[in-house]
Amino acid sequence: MTKNFIKWFFSTFFGSIFNSIVTILSALIFIFLINNIAGFISTSEWEVVTANRRLLLIGRMPEEHEWRIWSILWFTSFLIFSSINSWGPPSKKDLLLISSSIIIICLIFTTSSKILYVVISLLICGASYFTSHFISKSSNKKYFQNSLKILWLLLLPIIFTLLIIGGGPKPNLWGGFLLNIILAGIAIGFGFPLGILFALGRASSLPAIKTICTIYIETIRGAPLVGWLLLAWFVLPKFLPSFWGINEVSVVVRAMIVLTMFTSAYTAEVIRGGLQSIPKGQIEAADSLNLNYRTKILQIVLPQAIRVVVPALISTFIGVFKDTSLVFILALTDLLQVGRIIPEQDPEFFGKALEALCVVAFLFWIVSISLSNLSSKVEKSLGIGSR
Amino acid sequence: MNVFINKLYIWSRSQKNRDLLIQFIFVIFVGLFFYYLASKARLLDMTLSHFSSRAGFGISHTFIIDYTSNDSRWVSYFTGVINTIRVCIVAILFASLLGTIMGVARLSKNILFSTISYLYVEILRNTPLLIQIIFWQIIFLKLPRISEALTFGNTVVISNRGILLPSVTGSNNGNIWIILIIISIILALIVSYIVNKREDVEGKNIKLFNLKINGNLIGILLFFTLTISTYFILQQPYNLDLPSIYQNNKGTFLQSGGFEFTPEFGGILFALVMYTGTFITEIVRGSIQSLSKGQTEAAQALGLSNYQTMTLIVLPQALRSIIPPLTNQYLNLTKNSSLSVVIAYPELFMVSRTIMNNAGHALPVFFLILITYLSLSLAISMFMNIINRRVTRIGT
Repeated sequence: MTKNFIKWFFSTFFGSIFNSIVTILSALIFIFLINNIAGFISTSEWEVVTANRRLLLIGRMPEEHEWRIWSILWFTSFLIFSSINSWGPPSKKDLLLISSSIIIICLIFTTSSKILYVVISLLICGASYFTSHFISKSSNKKYFQNSLKILWLLLLPIIFTLLIIGGGPKPNLWGGFLLNIILAGIAIGFGFPLGILFALGRASSLPAIKTICTIYIETIRGAPLVGWLLLAWFVLPKFLPSFWGINEVSVVVRAMIVLTMFTSAYTAEVIRGGLQSIPKGQIEAADSLNLNYRTKILQIVLPQAIRVVVPALISTFIGVFKDTSLVFILALTDLLQVGRIIPEQDPEFFGKALEALCVVAFLFWIVSISLSNLSSKVEKSLGIGSR
Repeated sequence: MNVFINKLYIWSRSQKNRDLLIQFIFVIFVGLFFYYLASKARLLDMTLSHFSSRAGFGISHTFIIDYTSNDSRWVSYFTGVINTIRVCIVAILFASLLGTIMGVARLSKNILFSTISYLYVEILRNTPLLIQIIFWQIIFLKLPRISEALTFGNTVVISNRGILLPSVTGSNNGNIWIILIIISIILALIVSYIVNKREDVEGKNIKLFNLKINGNLIGILLFFTLTISTYFILQQPYNLDLPSIYQNNKGTFLQSGGFEFTPEFGGILFALVMYTGTFITEIVRGSIQSLSKGQTEAAQALGLSNYQTMTLIVLPQALRSIIPPLTNQYLNLTKNSSLSVVIAYPELFMVSRTIMNNAGHALPVFFLILITYLSLSLAISMFMNIINRRVTRIGT
């Protein structure tokens, strides 16, 4: 046993001269990183985060509107944790990631006054996870899945009703991580359908529509997002019509418009790849069955096209989520902006920029890595790449 | 009247006419939208006439163009463009290198090596680039102050004002020497091409003291002998410029000489390289995995070493499917370089934002930015297309 291990150890790490050099270099890199990280952790003070939890998560949202956030959080966590089990049980790695990230987030962001709410959220998470576990084994699985699908589609409208209903806070009071999630949600929720339309337009056989859609997509993709955001900041108000006070829309709405346009152009390119991968026979078969354009697109072309590009779509969505941090250029108080401003402006936390930045990066990372795990799960369940 | 409706009905039954009608309506709507935009834009000044007046702001990083704040805004804009191109070229080179190494590492049997690659991709790919840029800037600013700068025997000086590296300064003969270097490169390429071809086609090879000499080696030797001999013939046109730190009579520390690697440039460069590198890693890994396993097995059966298998068999074939997505990443990198506006590296976007803030007229400046980025993207695409054509050429 030990002999085999030693043999394996030497063949993997010191099999050849080249391999030995690589091993030594990697070990040096590891030691360097661990040394630096340990040094950072031992000297860091996390009060900059713990004193500003509220600002980091929801910005300057007034106290009396906090129930909106909690109800959104409860609803979303119910939805997420019901869905984990409904489409096949999660792997051990996923469970470990989810539980450890929840524990870390709770440890960082729980304050003593809000502990009741946090406990309720955790209970909802656990309860919906186990209910879905039992339902997915029963015969009602199909109905449960379908109702979850409808709830996912309704998620964005429900969140917005909860934010706006009964005189909610103005959009310029949205801030922190909440703002990033709202912006990403809007951009994906509106940008995805628009992107499908533009992709269909670009794949259309009518030259005028094709040209205009191509010009739109290529122009948006041609300039960086920061540029478009800057344009929205300087120029957009001058171009909006003056009735209904549209030209005085807040900066948040302008950021939403730009992000939606941007997402639509990028998703259009991804979906176009899917459209091109469909065998011509499918379309010819649909034509020979005399299906009209709408049926052909909705029932033959799009389901196959989107199925192929789901991983690419999710990585585009991750990109959009990460790009919401660029609203710094519009001076919006999103998560990154808060994380940068606190150490710069509060003399108490001067020079603690790295600690704040770490927590900000961690929050972005958790969401992105969950989405990318979801992507690889979908990829496996659709059987892409295994053919 | 009835006849007319009847004719219209028959006209509309034709697919061709319906297509025409749909396009007509669509174009009308888009046209109305653009008419509306144009009517609003008419109220704005759409010319770039303010670009010929004095800029009035300084730019901390100048390269090739000697810019001062008395120059026109055009000069400042082109300084920005050159800064963008400079950071993009360096970042593209290093990101490709890092991505290739990490992509190979990800599939390595050496667990330590593949773990590094795995952690690198999973951590850095999933955090926003902006955070990484700020992170690297903070790291650079945490280096020791200039009075306590780290020096390595007067060759490298590291402080929070930047990293000074040795560089070269040219004398009068410098340009002649550069031309001679270019000539010797061309000469070496031609000679090695001829020798290689002769070896491949006629099977003859050149022997020196019974040692077979390969064409590449001859080219390299030729290049070095030519450059080194001309270097001494031209009485050393370039001298090594070592950086140094000194105190002036008031006791302030100053630095001089060498190539300055500022925190801003370092921050944006490190972030772009590390971030784009993760995507290139994934592309390289995917392409290598998509090759059939028989290729590697055949190479091993022929007795090639792991290193030879990688460089002679696997990577050249993987390159075919790597290049198109790689081009996309290069374009993303170029666009992402505009994020250096947060750490005040004066590239094209930051310079034009300053101009917009100083002079207004945002819309025409924005169109200028758009055109510049489009032409940069076009240049990269064209260059990569040429490489792609060379790589995908099979059997020649």
